[in-house]
Amino acid sequence: MGEFKLKPQKNARTIEEINAKIRNGDAQVLTAEEMKKLVESSGVEVAFKEVDVVTTGTFGAMCSSGAIINLGHSDPPIKIEKALINDVPICHPGAAVDLYIGATAMSETQSFEYGGGHLIEDLVNGEEVELKATSYGTDCYPRTQLKTNLTKDDLNQFYLLNFRNCYQRYNCAVNSRDETIYTYMGKLLPRMRNATFSGAGELNPLMNDPDYETIGMGTRIFLGGAQGYVIGEGTQHEAQSLNGTLMVRGNAKKMNTEFLRGATFTRYGTTLYVGLGIPIPILNEDLAKKTAIRDEAIFTNVVDYGVPRRDRPKLAKVSYKELKSGAITVSDKKIKVSSLSSLKTARKIAGTLKSWIENGEFYLTAPVERLPLDSVFKPMKQTEATPFVGNVMQTAVTCKENEEVRAIAERIVTKSVNHIIVVDDLGRISGIVTSWDVTRAMAEGKKTLIDIMTRRVVTTKPDEPLETASKKMAQHNISALPVINDEKKVLGIVTSEDVSKLLGRR
Amino acid sequence: MKGMVRILLRFSEKIVEQPITSQIILELKVPINIITAHVNSKGGEVLAEVPEAAMDKVVKAFRKKGVTVSLPKLIEVDADKCISCGSCVALCPVEAITLSDDLSVVFNKEKCVGSTCSACVDACPARAIKSVKQNNSELTNSH
Repeated sequence: MGEFKLKPQKNARTIEEINAKIRNGDAQVLTAEEMKKLVESSGVEVAFKEVDVVTTGTFGAMCSSGAIINLGHSDPPIKIEKALINDVPICHPGAAVDLYIGATAMSETQSFEYGGGHLIEDLVNGEEVELKATSYGTDCYPRTQLKTNLTKDDLNQFYLLNFRNCYQRYNCAVNSRDETIYTYMGKLLPRMRNATFSGAGELNPLMNDPDYETIGMGTRIFLGGAQGYVIGEGTQHEAQSLNGTLMVRGNAKKMNTEFLRGATFTRYGTTLYVGLGIPIPILNEDLAKKTAIRDEAIFTNVVDYGVPRRDRPKLAKVSYKELKSGAITVSDKKIKVSSLSSLKTARKIAGTLKSWIENGEFYLTAPVERLPLDSVFKPMKQTEATPFVGNVMQTAVTCKENEEVRAIAERIVTKSVNHIIVVDDLGRISGIVTSWDVTRAMAEGKKTLIDIMTRRVVTTKPDEPLETASKKMAQHNISALPVINDEKKVLGIVTSEDVSKLLGRR
Repeated sequence: MKGMVRILLRFSEKIVEQPITSQIILELKVPINIITAHVNSKGGEVLAEVPEAAMDKVVKAFRKKGVTVSLPKLIEVDADKCISCGSCVALCPVEAITLSDDLSVVFNKEKCVGSTCSACVDACPARAIKSVKQNNSELTNSH
């Protein structure tokens, strides 16, 4: 990356000039929403002439967040090996008393309902927290046990240090499964009955400077209600696919819980809602044009989170305008959609940052290094193959709905299986019968299959991970799953025996 | 609706197949509005609205026929905890939760069907939505 250079442009403005205006109290600052309106009504040229800075904002769940704290030394001193604060396991990555509170670490006693995110919120709020630490003891750090109560004022450093924040845009999530699933994209109802999305769209900081001309290492920002800094690109940053991210740092002692909130996503875990806003200096006409971007020009994919794989199917492309309208259309079906991030707070952040600049409380900085434009977000290298249903499924024994129980009983014996899948003339699944159903039918004198077959069958697909299939069986207390394709045609069967043979061997 | 109160009716497996609600409507000549109903052969749970003035006799009549009657739990939103993310909005089947023009999440208690739905409760990242028990002493001669 190296040196940061801007193409010289006609009528260009410098950050120094803008800061001089801020000092004099006559910098022209608009929020991103106001800028878009101005460009629409008066054009880019006028907007560039009139506006010095455009403020942006976003307030969403950002799991790759946390805080670094330094406790100072106890007497006798301890080199902390294991630490809990309010029962949340705390990471001890460094020397004796430096700890990192990860937002997603969950309480050992309250589990999903309290985690690192909530702990950071409590500390920022000035609340007292309880630290319990243990160690093996060394000659220089003899202490092995420690218990104390602390507030943020007792800490030497308390810095928010987030390694991936401020996603430029994010997926819109739906669930094609027959059951509700709980994900980091929230609660997803069965058969795509709702959708969720995240991100502020046209208010998002990186979307307003998509070539990262002004946002880079060293950019001063709004972070959690205080001033913070961009310290580089975030993990998984990928500019080319418009999936830029930021690594940020800020003094948490000065933050405000209106813009920093612990949260729980049911059955996923805890996280931290982070408020982040970035001022974009309008250095040239190009930037005036870029900050005029509208929600209808920002697209994202509707992704099926019902598929438990890394590369989940993309079902449609939608704009943030559609997402914010409350409903999207996926293959002619209208789906109600909710935001997971708060657009109201995003707007408030852009407004707050604007007033800071107008009041001379916030000055702009030029980045000392640009964010990479060419980095690629690679998938994980895996040296051990993951088994999928398709790897272990066996040929299924099937029957038709009009067959008699007796015939089914015979087939169970001759094929020595416990499950027979009922199919229609096209080979599509219509039910299942087990040896137990047949035994009961014999005892109760029932003769036709229709009386005894189960119609609501839990199924799997060849590309489902075996672990997920195994979980499904345990959850529904069943011992086999028919394997079907998208057209519901039966491809085979996987039994709990097959699964335990394979997973047990590893 | 105005002048109406909501009651929660629980039908056991024994009585679920009888047309009890219809009988009571005919016998008492009282309009009963069914808000939600979850019924199968194992039993049922029905949220119904009855005129406030007739509540006592309706409750008595249901209880006489073996139905368990209680006040439904209500959904309450703690405005201090709410971060106006809007996660709950699309989950509400009766549009009791909406976004206002300033993008605040607005909860309309009148429209909410209460804890018989609860779709929003476990979807709230700020845990601002709770299902709250009403004081059942408002109902006459406890069951």
